Amino acid sequence: MTPSLDSYVMLSAALFAIGFLGVLVRRNTLVIYMCLELMLVAATLALVAFSRFNGTEDGDVFVFFILTVAAAEVAVGLAIIVALFRARQTVQVDQLDSLKH
Amino acid sequence: MEHLAFTCLSVFSLACALGVVLSKNAVNGAMCLLLCLAGVAGLFVQLHAYLLAFVLVLVYAGAVVALFLFIIMLLDMQGGTPWKFRGLNAAAGFVAALLLVTGLNLLAVRGHLEAGPPIGHSVGSSLKLYSYQLFTTYLLPVQIIGFLLLIAMLGVIVLSRRVPQPEDAK
Amino acid sequence: MSPLSTALLVLLAPLASAVLIALFLRTRGTAASVVSVAAASFVALGALVLAFGGERFTSSLEWFRLGSFAIELGVKFDDLAALMLSIVGVVGLCVHVFSLGYMHDDSAKARFFGGLSIFMFSMIGIVLADNLFMMFIFWELVGFSSYFLINHYCHKQSAADASKKAFIVNRVGDFGFVLGIILCYWKNGTVNLTELGAGHALVYSRLVPLLLFCGAVGKSAQLPLQVWLPDAMEGPTPVSALIHAATMVAAGIYMLCRIHVLMVPPAMTVIAWVGTLTALYSALCAVTQRDIKKVLAYSTLSQLGYMVAAFGLGSVSASMFHLTTHAFFKALLFLGSGSVIVGCHHEQDIFRMGGLRARMPVTFWTFTVAVAAIAGLPGLAGFFSKDAILVLAFGSNKAVFAVLALTAVLTAFYMLRLWKIVFLGSARSEEAGHAHESGVSITAPLVLLAVLSVAGGYTAIYHGAFNGVFSGVPEAEGLTHYFVLATSLTVLLLGAGLALAFYATDGKDALEERAPGAFGFLVALRASFDGAYDYYVAKIQQRVAMALNFLDLVVLSGVLIRGFSGAVEILGFGVRTLHTGRINHYVYWFLGGVVLLWAFAAGIL
Repeated sequence: MTPSLDSYVMLSAALFAIGFLGVLVRRNTLVIYMCLELMLVAATLALVAFSRFNGTEDGDVFVFFILTVAAAEVAVGLAIIVALFRARQTVQVDQLDSLKH
Repeated sequence: MEHLAFTCLSVFSLACALGVVLSKNAVNGAMCLLLCLAGVAGLFVQLHAYLLAFVLVLVYAGAVVALFLFIIMLLDMQGGTPWKFRGLNAAAGFVAALLLVTGLNLLAVRGHLEAGPPIGHSVGSSLKLYSYQLFTTYLLPVQIIGFLLLIAMLGVIVLSRRVPQPEDAK
Repeated sequence: MSPLSTALLVLLAPLASAVLIALFLRTRGTAASVVSVAAASFVALGALVLAFGGERFTSSLEWFRLGSFAIELGVKFDDLAALMLSIVGVVGLCVHVFSLGYMHDDSAKARFFGGLSIFMFSMIGIVLADNLFMMFIFWELVGFSSYFLINHYCHKQSAADASKKAFIVNRVGDFGFVLGIILCYWKNGTVNLTELGAGHALVYSRLVPLLLFCGAVGKSAQLPLQVWLPDAMEGPTPVSALIHAATMVAAGIYMLCRIHVLMVPPAMTVIAWVGTLTALYSALCAVTQRDIKKVLAYSTLSQLGYMVAAFGLGSVSASMFHLTTHAFFKALLFLGSGSVIVGCHHEQDIFRMGGLRARMPVTFWTFTVAVAAIAGLPGLAGFFSKDAILVLAFGSNKAVFAVLALTAVLTAFYMLRLWKIVFLGSARSEEAGHAHESGVSITAPLVLLAVLSVAGGYTAIYHGAFNGVFSGVPEAEGLTHYFVLATSLTVLLLGAGLALAFYATDGKDALEERAPGAFGFLVALRASFDGAYDYYVAKIQQRVAMALNFLDLVVLSGVLIRGFSGAVEILGFGVRTLHTGRINHYVYWFLGGVVLLWAFAAGIL
C-alpha cells in the first residue's frame, strides 16, 4: 500500500516551508542559496508525486527542465556571489545593504 | 512496508533539511543538503521514477552541491559572530514558515485532491518514454533550455572576469 | 463720401499720425509736428463738415461674442456728438498750432506730438462711442494719454509723481464706472446708448447712475477726486489747455449727458450737490494760488462743478452749453498763460510778472476777453451759459442757487486778481521786463479762440446744427429773468471790484499781508484733501496691505503650501524607512504579497 498523495504533498510543503524558513532567517548568502535549492527540490518532489498518481509522464519530464534550470541558476548565482565577495569582502546579507535609503 | 520506507525517508529528509537551515557552519549545511537530496532520491525511487532519482543524485548532489562546497571553500569566510537561532527574527521566521505550511496544506485539502490509489501501472522510468516526450511534445522547451544554458555559461564567464588593476599592466 | 466713412476717417487719422510718429519719426521732431498738425486739421475739418452737414446717424459692428454677451463697436452721431466733436476738433486744432510755437525748442517734440495724436484719437473715440463698453475702452485710453502727456518732462520727479497721481485717482473713479456699466448691463440687458434711450422699460435704480457718475467724478475731477487736476499742471501748457481744460475733463460731463436716460431724482440731487460743492471749494482754493496755471486749474475745477450741478438740476442743455463756452474761453486762458510763460522765459509765478499789457498786446487783449467771458460780462459767451445755469438753479433749488452765486463772486474775484497782477502795473522781474510777443503760431489760435469766446454764446451762429442740444437751454421769463440778471451783474461787479481794489501790483499777495488768518485757512482748506488721502494711504491702506502680506506669506505660503509639502515629505520619509536594503526583509514582504493573493483567491478579501 503506497502512501496517499496527500502525504507526499504535505511532505513537499514541509520541505518547502523549511527552505523558506532558511531564506528568512539566515544571514550568510551561500546558506540562503542552499535553502533556495531545497525549495526547488521540494517542488520537484511534488511534481513527481502528481505524475505518478495521474499515470502520465509529464510531471517527470518537467522535472528534467527544473533540474537543468536549477543547475544553470546555481552556476550564475555563485558567480555573482563570488564577484560580490571580491567587491565587498563579505557575504553576510546584513552588510550588503547599499540599497538602503 | 512501503509506508515504513516512506516514513523513514521523509523523517530523514526533514531532519537534514532542518540541519541545512540551523547549522552554524556553512560546510555542515552543504553536507546536510547532500543527505537531504539522497533522501529525496529515495522518495523518487518509491514513486517509481528511477531515472529521475539517478539524475537527481548525479546532477544535483554531484554537481551542484559540489560547486557549493567549492565556493564555500573559495570564499574562505572567517565568519564574524556565530549565528544562533533565537530572537525576534527567528520567531518571526518560524511563524512565517508555519503560515506557509498551513496555507499549502489547506490548499491541498480544499482543492479536493484525489486521494485515490495511483492510476494504472507505473509508467516506469522508461528512457524511451521520456525521450519520446522530450522530442515531440516538449521540443520547444528543450531548445529554449539549450539557449538558457548557453547564456548562463556566457554570464558566468563575464561575471567571473577579474577587473584589470592598474598594477597588472606593468 | 458717406458720413460714416468721414466719421471713421476722423477717428482714425490721429491714430495713423500717432503710429507714424511712433514708428518712423521718433527723432524727427519737426516732421512729427507737421504730421500731427495735419491730422488735427483733418479732424477739425471733418468734424465741422459732419456737424454742419446735417447728417445724423448711428451704426455699429459686433466685435466679439461670448454666448449671449457681445461687445460692439459703433458710432452714434447725434447732435450731442456733433457738438462735442466740433469742440474737440476746433480746440484741438488751435492747441496743435499753438504747440508748434510753444514746443519749438523742446528736445522731445516728437514724443509730445505723438501723445497729442493718441489723445485726439481716444477723445474722438469717446465722443463717437455708441455703447458704454466702447466708451470705457476709450475712457481708459484717454487716461493713458493724459498720463503720458503730463509726464512729458519726465526727468522731473514732480512730473512723474503728478502723472501717477492723475492715473491712479482716475482709476479709482473708473472702478465705480465699471461697476456701473456691469450693473447697467445686468439690469437692462444692454449698454447700447440708443437702445437704452429707446424708451422701453428701463429698470431704474439709484445705484446705476451713481456708479456711472463715479466715472465722471474721477475724469472730471469732482469732489473728492479732484486732487489730481492741480498737480496735472506739471505737463506742458498746451496739454493743460487741451486735456485738462477743454476736452478730457469735459468727457465726464459728456458721458453724463449720454446716460441721462438712466437718471433718477435722488441720484440727480446727489450729483447737483457734488457739483456745487466742488465749484465752491475750488473757487476758495484758487484765491490763494501763486502759479498762473494752478489758478486756472482751480478755475477749471470750479466751472466743471457748474456743469455737473447744471446736469444734476435736470438740464442736459445748460450743462452742454456751459461746456461749449467753457472750452473756448478756458482754452484761451491756458494758451494765453502759455504765451505769457514763454514770453517771460518759463516763469510761472504771477508775482514775478507784471506790466505785460504794453509788451504783449495780443496776448493781453485776448486774455482780457477770456477773463471777461469767465467772469460773466454781459454779451460774451460765458455770460449766457452761466446765466442759464443760474436760472435753472433758481427754478429748482434755491440753496444751490445761493452757493452758485457765491461761487460766481469768487470766480470774478480771483480771475480779476490774476489779470491785474499779471498784466497791469510794472514789471517785477527781469524776464518780465524783456517779455515780447511770440510768433504767429502762438498768437493766431489766441485770436480765433477770442472770437469764439465772444460769439460762442449766441446759439444762432450754429445755424441750428445743434438744436437737439441747445433747444432746451433754460430761459427765464419776467420777474425771474430780471432777478437772475440782476444777480449776475451784482456778482460780477462785486467780485471784480473787490479784486481790483484789494490787490495792488507791488509783488506781494495782499490777502496774505492783510488777512493772514483767512489766507492760512484757505491754504489749509486746499491741502486738506491731500492730507486726508496721505493719512488714509499711510495708516489704513498700508496696514491692511501688511496684514494681507502676512496672510499671504504665513498662512498661504507657509501653512498651506509648505504644510502640504511637509506632510508629503513626512509620508515619504515614512515610506523610505521600508527600504532597508536587506534581502531577508524583502522576502517577508514577498510572503505578505502571497498571503494577500491567497486571501483574494479564497474570497476573504
